[in-house]
Amino acid sequence: MTQSFDLIRGTLDLLILKTLSWGPMHGLSVTRWIEQVTGSRFQIEEGALYPALHRLEQRGWVSAEWGLSDNNRKAKFYQLTAEGRRQLRSEVARWDGYTEAVRLVLAATAP
Amino acid sequence: MSAAGERRRFFRLPRSRSTIDRELDDEFQFHLEGRIEELVAAGLPPHEARAEALRRFGDPGEYRRQAHTIDEAQLRQEGRLEFRETARRELRHAVRALIRTPAFSAIAVITLAIGIGATTAIFTVLDRVVLRPLPYPAAEELVSVHHPTVVPGTGESIWGLSSAGYFVFKNENRTLQSLGAYRTTELTIAGDGEAERVKAGLITQDLFGTLGARPHVGRLFGSADDVPNGPRVAVLGYDLWQRRYGGDPNVVGRTIQTSYGTFEVVGIVHRGFALPKPGPFSSANDLAGFRTDVWLPLQLDPDAPAANSHQFGAIGRLASGVIPSVAESDLQRLTNTLPERYPRAYSQGFFDTYQFRLAVEPLRDAVLGPSLARTLWVLLGAAALVLLIAVANVANLFLVRIEMRRRDAALRTALGASRARLTLHALTEGLVLGAAAGAIGLGIAWLGVRAMLALAPTDVPRLAGVSLGWAAVGFGVALALASGVLFGMLPMLRGVADPSALRDGARGSSHSHRQRRARSGLVVAQVSLALMLLASAGLMLRSVAHLRQVEPGLDPTSTLAFTIAVPPSDYETAEAVAEFHRQLQETIGAMPGVTAVGAINRLPLRDFGVGCAVVFREGRPYADGEDTPCVETPKATPGVFRALGVRVEGREPTWDDVASNTGAVVVTRALADRMWPGEDPIGKGINSNGGTESGYYRIVGVVPELRASGLDHDPVEAVFYPAVGVPNSWIWGPMSSANYVVRSSLADPAILMPRIRQAVTAMNAGTPITEITSMEAVVERSMARISFIMLLLGAAAVAALTLSAVGLYGVISYLVSQRRGEIGVRIALGAHAAQVARMVMRQSLVLTAAGLLIGLAGAFAGTRLLSSLLYGVAPTDPVTLLGGAGLLVVVAAAASFGPARRAARVDPVDALRSS
Repeated sequence: MTQSFDLIRGTLDLLILKTLSWGPMHGLSVTRWIEQVTGSRFQIEEGALYPALHRLEQRGWVSAEWGLSDNNRKAKFYQLTAEGRRQLRSEVARWDGYTEAVRLVLAATAP
Repeated sequence: MSAAGERRRFFRLPRSRSTIDRELDDEFQFHLEGRIEELVAAGLPPHEARAEALRRFGDPGEYRRQAHTIDEAQLRQEGRLEFRETARRELRHAVRALIRTPAFSAIAVITLAIGIGATTAIFTVLDRVVLRPLPYPAAEELVSVHHPTVVPGTGESIWGLSSAGYFVFKNENRTLQSLGAYRTTELTIAGDGEAERVKAGLITQDLFGTLGARPHVGRLFGSADDVPNGPRVAVLGYDLWQRRYGGDPNVVGRTIQTSYGTFEVVGIVHRGFALPKPGPFSSANDLAGFRTDVWLPLQLDPDAPAANSHQFGAIGRLASGVIPSVAESDLQRLTNTLPERYPRAYSQGFFDTYQFRLAVEPLRDAVLGPSLARTLWVLLGAAALVLLIAVANVANLFLVRIEMRRRDAALRTALGASRARLTLHALTEGLVLGAAAGAIGLGIAWLGVRAMLALAPTDVPRLAGVSLGWAAVGFGVALALASGVLFGMLPMLRGVADPSALRDGARGSSHSHRQRRARSGLVVAQVSLALMLLASAGLMLRSVAHLRQVEPGLDPTSTLAFTIAVPPSDYETAEAVAEFHRQLQETIGAMPGVTAVGAINRLPLRDFGVGCAVVFREGRPYADGEDTPCVETPKATPGVFRALGVRVEGREPTWDDVASNTGAVVVTRALADRMWPGEDPIGKGINSNGGTESGYYRIVGVVPELRASGLDHDPVEAVFYPAVGVPNSWIWGPMSSANYVVRSSLADPAILMPRIRQAVTAMNAGTPITEITSMEAVVERSMARISFIMLLLGAAAVAALTLSAVGLYGVISYLVSQRRGEIGVRIALGAHAAQVARMVMRQSLVLTAAGLLIGLAGAFAGTRLLSSLLYGVAPTDPVTLLGGAGLLVVVAAAASFGPARRAARVDPVDALRSS
């Protein structure tokens, strides 16, 4: 059995941005994608995705429009904006810096 | 799975608050249904699949609430952005459009700015002087209580209350909360520092309460202070306290030395508190710089014998719910009992002869007087007319602009631009124009207010310190916005966005006719308004010209005048004061360059016309019902007639007369003719003793004509009493306050002032000198109000004339351009250039004539408002009206000369080809 985690605060935005970097998706497919990639390691209520998506839209990092899904249902699609793409790059860099720092501490030998 | 493949563009709803929740529901539903299908496909029974999907989703309500908050914030933000964007775009558009037509914009903005500036400036003064309530709590309850009378031979006059009357009204009225009485005077404060002339208010104790005064330090007067021969206490005004005592609270409890004796200071009244107006019988000079520095208790004696002497101003506070007219009949009822109560002081004959009655008037009206408020309203009306003409001009300009853009606008409408959008364009343009005009107009108003303060007569109450306040700025901004919106809406009213304009040819359409009619109508209106203003200004101009031709009966040139106050504590008797004046006059008279010097307690054309005393003749008492002359009774010293340049038939009294107390006096011809018609007054006896046969003054000289109450008044009836009274004949106290008049052969008599000052100080250091002026200035100032009105109306008329000329020029030019084709045909058919020019001129004159006809009717109706301000000219003076009309015809002809010449030079080939 794989381990599962509570999502660290703020990382949901990063995951969404990264997911959308593959192309426009509706909320459900964002959920599926994260599930698939992580093997459902994150303990997160799916509904929490939506306030996060709307906040990203408000900030101008993603844009949203209504369209038809594969099975011809009306669905709201989200897409990274140019600004969102820039934001993703800087968030990724920050995340890398952060985990690197944590890793350095954990790997350090006794002083 | 391919993200891109999943998406097919479908629609994009413009979001609004109501759609937010629906969209969120749709979004969540799509998510849940997708999940359920997935779980069912994985083998779960539908109801379990549903439960599982919901469990994984969490609480939809909570997430919907969170997302809703975010979306709403975004919606608001977008709305703000969009509004700002639209505003910026429209502004840029409008500014560009206005810059593209600089001549149009400049003329429109300046024209409007002049109108707005003039109106705002006059509104400022009107607001501060007339409209603002007086600075007292619940000021609308305050009333002035006084006796209007008609003095036979002199005219209407406002008398104060008598002491006896005051107590009757105060104790027996049923309509007032309180009634306070006062009189105003000047006194000299000496001791601790330089002697200073200050204004004093002598008041009954209830006046402080009536006007809502509060002590700043110490206390105000109590009932124990205001009793006959009561304590000698004083309350200081805040400004005097700051100025002379540096705001030291320890002044309270100390004593001050004044020309009225020593007083203990018991308190300082709150800052800015003052009497609303000087007491009765005050002159224009008392009103200039009126303030209250020192307050003393009046200490009237209710048991003193009643006298027909009306020297107390009275201010009452109405009981709640009482209107002035009700209080007036209440107090009139009491007034009617005066002859019965005090038969020695009042008689029914006196009531009838003097039309003596009582009036209760709102205090603010009493402070302003009837003519001032009317004058300011007239001026505001004049400014409003200028504004109307300006608006008509700009409307005309806009109509041209609309005409030029008509096809353009129609095309845009046909291409789908919304009417709302076009209206928005026009509105923004109008508003930008209005804003620019408003900004410049406020600048003009600021300058205008300063100019008016510099030029205005000094006796206008409440005018000091007027500046452009928020009320005026608001007024100006409102005018600017209103005119902006008006011009912005014009195109819509004119149906500009009507696509049928595309079908219309450029010329001869019904629309063009309508357009022409509208523009011609505006010009006719302008001309008529301009005529009204020209007529008003012309009437004022003629009045002033008439006034300047009036012989005042004195020679104001080469004079110096100043006022001194001899301290009564040092010179107690009339004889001592007279001796002071004799010595001072001797010293001044000996100065090189001085040809005559004299003193008088009321300066002609400044202090006359504010009170009167009844005079009696020796050996011939007045019969019952006969007019008893109530006349001016100034006191004068020998030499004053020569100093004033007043001719005297007979002789002037001399210092020998004063020394041996001969009672030699001078009267005016007007008085002599009334008292001794057809007789030589020289040698006759006269006094003001109330008809008792005792000491008389002897007439030694007659002044043929002296207009001392105003150039627009009849020659004054006056007796010039000496500084010292004859035995058994009283004249009101020593001549402590005196206006000196010095006649000089020097080019500038004012350079005598330092030596005179030395002379006065050498005689008595506690004698302040104030009001240094010349008789020329006094004469000029007596005409200040009428000159001021003339100046403002003149400025308005010039503005109106200019604006009308501009308007006429614009319309005639437009008509010529409209008829270019027709003119071309006429010329091609052989019309002479002169004929064409005449045709254009005729058109202009027809418009002008129509305007003049309407304007004449308006002037007939409007100039009546001026009648109380006019002198020697009727409000419907035909010379003035026709002169104004003639001037307008000349200006109209000049304005259409250019377009006429252009018409005459039309090249027929060119004109016909382009049509």
